[in-house]
Amino acid sequence: MCDNYVMRSTRNVVNNEDSSGLGHYSDPPLLVLASLANGPKHGHAMIEDIVRLSGTRLGPGTLYGAIARLEQQGWIAPLPPEERRRPYRITAEGLRVLRARLTTLHQFAKAGLGRLEPL
Amino acid sequence: MKQRLARMLTRLYPPVWRERYGEEFEAMLAMGPGDLGTVVDSVWSALREHVNPTRGGRMEQDTKTFAALMRRPSGYLPVAMSLAAFMMVLSALAVGLARGGAIVRDPDEGSIAHLFQLLMTVQWPIMLFFAMKWMRHAPRPTLGVLGLQAAAWLAGCAPVYFLHL
Repeated sequence: MCDNYVMRSTRNVVNNEDSSGLGHYSDPPLLVLASLANGPKHGHAMIEDIVRLSGTRLGPGTLYGAIARLEQQGWIAPLPPEERRRPYRITAEGLRVLRARLTTLHQFAKAGLGRLEPL
Repeated sequence: MKQRLARMLTRLYPPVWRERYGEEFEAMLAMGPGDLGTVVDSVWSALREHVNPTRGGRMEQDTKTFAALMRRPSGYLPVAMSLAAFMMVLSALAVGLARGGAIVRDPDEGSIAHLFQLLMTVQWPIMLFFAMKWMRHAPRPTLGVLGLQAAAWLAGCAPVYFLHL
């Protein structure tokens, strides 16, 4: 299932902390999975957590686009609503996907930084 | 963001999506800032949801639209059978015209006539099954599909009736 993972466009991400956008990571589904890795959260809490985690502020439409597709893939699951807000939790399959993607990214970052060292 | 603007932006999404995520999405919009970036992001995402809708998960696909009913075998089979019968008659006519230069009216019913009758009659129980199954759940799209099936049936019979075959 990890092979089907598609990196998402960054054009719907609202960057309001750094106008250059450099140094921000913005793959909404991966950010949502990473945000839910330390416990269930509702939409607004996810946005704030993702800002702290990656410096990127997702727009509400982008966030819910990612939530809908992650739920469709079975990587996150909804919990009972709290008033009008609904928290989500990451599933076991979602954790497996997140671990696989982060491992790939880690290897990529390590190799890329290694190439920068001699410069 | 003002509640009214949040509601307006939520209404841009398809009904199926709204039914599942509408309330929580609207609540989240109302909590956040109503700046231009948020509005553009919501409009763009709504548009994308129309073009490439989310399916699966806990989102129920709308199975009661005209298109959804037409995709069911009992929806499209009668239309396909009428079309096949119509094309068969036209082909027989074309062959007759090519050979003899006139429409051939055979007093003995050949295999084409039998096949035509079979195609035009066997579809009635299918249409009846379709009507019985769907009329209660989705009367309007069901009537639409039945109308199309009836029109296809009449079109299939038209050459036989008008050309006295």
